[in-house]
Amino acid sequence: MEIILIPLIRFFGLLLLQVFILNAIEPGLGIYLMAYPLFIAIMPFNYNIFTCLSLSFLLGFSVDLFSNTFGLHASAATVTAMLRPMIYKYFGPRDGYDVIKNPNVLDMGFRWHLLTFGSLLVIHNFWFFLLESFRLDEILIVLKKSVLSSVCSFIICWALQYVFFKKEKTICNNCIYHYCWFVV
Amino acid sequence: MQNLIAFFQRFRIFIFFVLLQVISLGFYFSYIAYPKGQFLTSSWAVSGALLGWQNDFSKFFHLEENNSLLQNENVRLRKNQMSNFVKVSAELIKINDTLYKQKYEYIPGVVINSTTTRRNNYFTLNIGSEQGVQSGMGVFSDKGVVGVVYMTSKYFSLVKTILTENSNVDVVIEPSGLTGYLKWQGNDSKRGSVIGISSDIKLAKNSMVYTRGGSGVFPKGIPVGKVEKLIPIEGKPIWNVVIKFTENYQALQNVYVVKNLMQQEQKKLEQGIPIEENK
Repeated sequence: MEIILIPLIRFFGLLLLQVFILNAIEPGLGIYLMAYPLFIAIMPFNYNIFTCLSLSFLLGFSVDLFSNTFGLHASAATVTAMLRPMIYKYFGPRDGYDVIKNPNVLDMGFRWHLLTFGSLLVIHNFWFFLLESFRLDEILIVLKKSVLSSVCSFIICWALQYVFFKKEKTICNNCIYHYCWFVV
Repeated sequence: MQNLIAFFQRFRIFIFFVLLQVISLGFYFSYIAYPKGQFLTSSWAVSGALLGWQNDFSKFFHLEENNSLLQNENVRLRKNQMSNFVKVSAELIKINDTLYKQKYEYIPGVVINSTTTRRNNYFTLNIGSEQGVQSGMGVFSDKGVVGVVYMTSKYFSLVKTILTENSNVDVVIEPSGLTGYLKWQGNDSKRGSVIGISSDIKLAKNSMVYTRGGSGVFPKGIPVGKVEKLIPIEGKPIWNVVIKFTENYQALQNVYVVKNLMQQEQKKLEQGIPIEENK
């Protein structure tokens, strides 16, 4: 039950936050606050890539329905989901990730989160703004927009995780026992 | 055949990814080129209704400002009413009420969803085809021109604002009477530019820019902006006239949709213009 319910809550929570609050805030300088890429980043490590792609596409599509972008968000979200495994592999530990841990800032530490989620956000925003302007002579504006937006969005997502997530328990013998008991 | 199956198995992730990209980008580019339906936009009934609720809540932030704007407009219109005027001379005055025929009708509406910092900015209005809005109608507020209706659904409509790449509203700069086209450079929602004015003409700073009303989308004389500076375009004998918009699009709420009652007649007449052959 939890396996279905938690992603569902995250999906709709981030969608509503993006559509009704962040879309209405326009700080100027071309900054576009995006919180929904966080959903793509915090999907568990053991998700199938097809599930990742489909869920990201659905989320991007739902954001598109509310913000007059006609499919840009869906495109950027699928690119992010496609590159997610590569980036996680590049920055990950040599012997793979711990399956009990989740890819959020509390479990994995700030440095890892900055490297992976930061690069995912930059790629996502760059793809979005590049397709939006679709002109090479505006590439400097696109770069400026994507860097500024990534920085602001990263701060928002970082704060969101501290407010809504709790740290996974560290693995002691007792916990392993509980975990195994739960699985069996 | 086995090779083909092996190929699909090897690249199945990438093929799925490309498929999703084709769907989303296909939607994007077909909508940018020509509006096809209401799906995938905020004029779609479900998202329109939800955005309407959001606006019911967020309109209170600008309530005072919008009230005073509407009040000012009311005062200005009230000043023009017949009952306000006193006859000064004792001579008889003939009012030719059959000489005039109404050309424009206005439909009031409220902006329920808007962006100003994207490359192409669209506004969603809470009025649709049921209220008489059709695509191609002009939209303006009491302080300035807003845009053209891009597509409509039953109770909502989507406006392509002048803050897009190809808005091309025809404008006239007063008092010199020069005409040009309104463009937007894409990074500043407070400034636009007028293209098409010959660079051997000097323009005074702060001269007002109004709509020309040539195409029948907007009535004549709706304010657009004030001339801020002139920048020469390289290799062309025309100015890039930078103007500052009179309307603040970030806080825009109450707008009017223009219904031109003689649009059909003008279109029908202008269809008769012969197309020049390319030589």
